[in-house]
Amino acid sequence: MTRAHAVWVIYASLVGALLFTLLPLPMDWRGLRPDLVALALFYWILALPHRVGVATAFVVGVAQDLIEGAPLGLSSPGLMLATLLLLYNYQRIRQFDLLQQSLAILGLMLLSSGVEQWLRNGIDVPVAPWAGVGGMICSMLFWVPIRTLLRYSRRYYEVY
Amino acid sequence: MVLLLLCLAILFIFRDHPRMTAVQRGAVDVVAFTSNIVLAPFDAWDRLLESMQSRPALQDEVLRLQQENRVLRGQAQRLASLLSENARYKALLNSARDIEDELIAAQISSVSPDPARHLVMLDKGAADGVREGQPVLGAEGLIGQIVLAGEYNSRALLITDSAHALPVQVNRSGLRAIAEGSGDIDRLVIRHLAATTDIRAGDLLVTSGLGGRFPHGYPVARVTDVEIAAGDAFAVVSAAPTSALDRGRHVLLVAQSSQFEAAAAP
Repeated sequence: MTRAHAVWVIYASLVGALLFTLLPLPMDWRGLRPDLVALALFYWILALPHRVGVATAFVVGVAQDLIEGAPLGLSSPGLMLATLLLLYNYQRIRQFDLLQQSLAILGLMLLSSGVEQWLRNGIDVPVAPWAGVGGMICSMLFWVPIRTLLRYSRRYYEVY
Repeated sequence: MVLLLLCLAILFIFRDHPRMTAVQRGAVDVVAFTSNIVLAPFDAWDRLLESMQSRPALQDEVLRLQQENRVLRGQAQRLASLLSENARYKALLNSARDIEDELIAAQISSVSPDPARHLVMLDKGAADGVREGQPVLGAEGLIGQIVLAGEYNSRALLITDSAHALPVQVNRSGLRAIAEGSGDIDRLVIRHLAATTDIRAGDLLVTSGLGGRFPHGYPVARVTDVEIAAGDAFAVVSAAPTSALDRGRHVLLVAQSSQFEAAAAP
């Protein structure tokens, strides 16, 4: 394991993605907002699995809950499970072509939001029926641009 | 694994722990501050458009507002006499006197990104006298209540959120019911009303004051549809909030009147 270099890029991109969720959207369109936070997190896990892992996923999830005004700890477990799965499979997923990668990301999103919906049911926080699916498909479409952007910045700043 | 257990523990055991709520209250201010920064360019654009409105348009606006003001003043005169009459009757009945509700003006600064919730951020907090549980009024009626009060900002839950329910009364008949949020921004639902109940489309629902959270008599919604399925014991009543919840940014917070607190005390 080498010494970390320019790790701030990772955190800056995660914070940027969190800020993106604050942008205003019409009430009924909020479900279609691509989940850039999860996408950025997944990218960094794929690229630098020794830097970003379950603990980062936990912190990101808590930040998301605070922004949404949800009970604390609602989005973390899903993200952490998806992260774990990704950490076990990152070498395989790196070899995929872009379409396959997008589909894998869609699967991870399904897992993480599935866990979240399940927890929501458990503690009686409302679940939007079908709202998650549109958002996940939007997120999947955003995988390629986000990946390209983050990959470029990773190489430009030489993050490792 | 430890973190996962921690999450579940927080969710299922310590969800309403005072420390957790304190963290969330603190976060309200931080989130509001950051989102104000993110939204600043949009606000600036709006202001720019506003400042470029033409003079005739502004004059029209002033004229319209003056007329509206005249009409409202006329109505207020009647209201004043009614209030004093009402107070006299109440004095005769020896019951607590209504004291007018005090209002705090606030603005909706942002909407929660969670698509399943109807949560909004308001730009007034505990420092301005906002307390948790306080009712929030729109231009035409009740729109929600405060759920988290930060120091300078607060979060309000709208009445259409599917975790929200409030006691209402049909203005025409005095019938009491519970109006639940449906998750749609323009619809409330009343379940568990006997199919033979006297309620019909067009009825105004007002807060009933039961439960001690919302003061009595604020308009909430208008019944749009009464659905009685053959053979069902209960009717399903849909109502549309009188205030358009997804429009307009200005809201009023009701600082609770003494009559109301007297009613809330056992």
